[in-house]
Amino acid sequence: MATSEGNATLRMGQSPARKTAGTAGQYLALGLLSLLVLGPIGLTVIQALSPPFTYVAQGRPLHPVAVSWQDRTWFTGGIASLAFRTVIVLLLFAWLQKVASGVSFREKAFYVPSRIVAVVGGTVVLALAMGPVFQSLFEADGNTLVVVLLAMALVAATQLWGYWTAEHRTPVGAVVMALFTGFGLVGLAVLFVAPTVWTLAWTRYNLGPAMGRSFVMTIIVTVLQVSTATMAAYAFVFLRFPFKRILFALFMATLLLPLEVTLVGNVATIRQLGWTDTMQALVLPFGAAALGTFLIRQGFRGLPTEIQDATRLDGYGHIAFLTKFAVPLTRPVIAAFTVISALSAWNQYLWPRAITETNSFNTLQIQLRLASASEVANANQAIAAALVAAVPVILLLIAFQRQIIRGLTAGAVK
Amino acid sequence: MSVVDSMSLPNDDAPVLEAPKRSRRGKYNAKEVGLAFVFLLPSLAVFSVFFYLPFARLLSWGTYESVRGGASYNPVGLDQYKDVLGGDEFRQGLWHSLQFVLYTVPAGLILGTLLAVAAHRRLKGIKVFQAIFSSTLASSVAVSSVIFFFLFNPAVGFFQVSWQSDPDMAMFAAALPAIWQNLGLAFVIVLAGLQAVPDEVMEAARLDGYGAWRRLTRITLPLISPVLMFLLVILVIYGFQAFAQIDIITKGGPGGASETLVFKIFKQTQDYGKGAVLSVGLFFVTLVVTFFQFAILDRRVHYGDE
Repeated sequence: MATSEGNATLRMGQSPARKTAGTAGQYLALGLLSLLVLGPIGLTVIQALSPPFTYVAQGRPLHPVAVSWQDRTWFTGGIASLAFRTVIVLLLFAWLQKVASGVSFREKAFYVPSRIVAVVGGTVVLALAMGPVFQSLFEADGNTLVVVLLAMALVAATQLWGYWTAEHRTPVGAVVMALFTGFGLVGLAVLFVAPTVWTLAWTRYNLGPAMGRSFVMTIIVTVLQVSTATMAAYAFVFLRFPFKRILFALFMATLLLPLEVTLVGNVATIRQLGWTDTMQALVLPFGAAALGTFLIRQGFRGLPTEIQDATRLDGYGHIAFLTKFAVPLTRPVIAAFTVISALSAWNQYLWPRAITETNSFNTLQIQLRLASASEVANANQAIAAALVAAVPVILLLIAFQRQIIRGLTAGAVK
Repeated sequence: MSVVDSMSLPNDDAPVLEAPKRSRRGKYNAKEVGLAFVFLLPSLAVFSVFFYLPFARLLSWGTYESVRGGASYNPVGLDQYKDVLGGDEFRQGLWHSLQFVLYTVPAGLILGTLLAVAAHRRLKGIKVFQAIFSSTLASSVAVSSVIFFFLFNPAVGFFQVSWQSDPDMAMFAAALPAIWQNLGLAFVIVLAGLQAVPDEVMEAARLDGYGAWRRLTRITLPLISPVLMFLLVILVIYGFQAFAQIDIITKGGPGGASETLVFKIFKQTQDYGKGAVLSVGLFFVTLVVTFFQFAILDRRVHYGDE
């Protein structure tokens, strides 16, 4: 608040026109930087939608040539894929409302009628309005532009009330936000639901089983890391036992032995055990985490002494204290570590690559390598596979942005 | 981040939470010790089998030389360490890793700071730009590598980089996805640093007539220098550990021109002797890099409350 008041006093001498120009300049700079960050993705989407032989022949087109569209509606396809794309759209609407209002999902204040209408109504209207859009694209009947604009307007209309009720938002701002939302969501649906390339890539590169394997691996690794780290941290903070400092140093020394260093030895162990191409080989080396132990230990150390004294007097044992007080009270730290642990398990590349000898046990990341190594004639499908593979993490990022940022910056800021 | 945390360890004293009446040292409650054993056992088991055991094996395997591609091993003492660590292959791998670091780290620091400074202001809709800038966190190394593999592909890319024939371009092509992918991480970390700078400091500077550029170079950057150092350490370590980019894009080529140390280690998972020596080499490289960075930078970095 102090800053904005200071700005006001300082800028009193400035002309309004100059101030507007300054603001526009800032938005321009931010827009250009956004292009830098999102540019590669945008160009990649164009590549994914362009049939490769044609674009090789034509040089390097900056627009897709003859995208092949599916004959479909929003509701075509299996129940799983339907639920998937619907949930994504729902999450996007909810996230936009959250950003606009500044109210987090956890607060009850988020769930007011205007925002519920925007999120649920927006999803329903989008799903219904996309049917004619997809049909028009597939039949190439020449009405596509009209149908698309209509769909965008309908979706924008559902968002208006939600943005309107957000605090500090002017009516013009609400209309602009709603229009952008309609434009963006319908655009995304056209790009990511209507073309055939996404489903082709999904089946061609067996992304389903690979993704399932990555999911299982991620869940097991995360559960293992969080539970072993929590137990170890508890022992280091609340229990008295001999050689504590030496044991703690032993824990932390593992940070100096990254997987890249121990790879040769660990691969040998896995081969001797006959565990190549097995789930236990994928997860067991990541069953414990010194970083997690350290972070959760810091969290436990931050608890006031009185809590433990009081619970001890009330007759709580260590297990009860751990599960009923220590863990719930350090939930932000544990949540941040959980998300970071899941993210790094999902992104794991070197280890699965080293211990998978047949392609039938590839995780998603290794399957992508296989896709890119296949012939250039199907380049667009391999690119599509990479974009499809990014979707789960995009969702994770949207849902747990705060925890991820806290986990990544732990240690950077005191 | 891990290394920074570990560096601050030795200062940590005995736990804050103690029983009200602290018994004399050496006196332990058997039940507590038992519980501690149970709690530490899972972690210790994993660390022993997958961290300490392989490292110990590497140290000893380094003294054995493989015969006929790993069919049998001859004890050669420290000769293999001397030959491999002093040889061309290790030096080349180290140089390529260093090249990768030189391409990715300065770019990450500069672009991360640029994005964070641009997005650290009070503007309507700034949250949307912050979300866009941090969005590359959502891509894995494999995803970003595949994206750049096709974006800069010599045959079908928008920008055709001849990494299959030009050794100089190969390392650069492998570094590009890392630079792009690090944007999100660098942005998030620097932004957190900027947000920790008190508004009053910037306001005072503004009232003293400091312009935007002087505020940035004289006040903001010195104040967030610990955060920048933290980022530097992470990026250097990521750079030395890079593997997927090379595995997917250049596959080590052309003619081994982009084989980094980790890539060479990966290729040697069949030859335990040589692979072990290269691994020990990598261990010392990361160790030296980390301590070197701290020794030099610790003195120059401004810490808030000293």
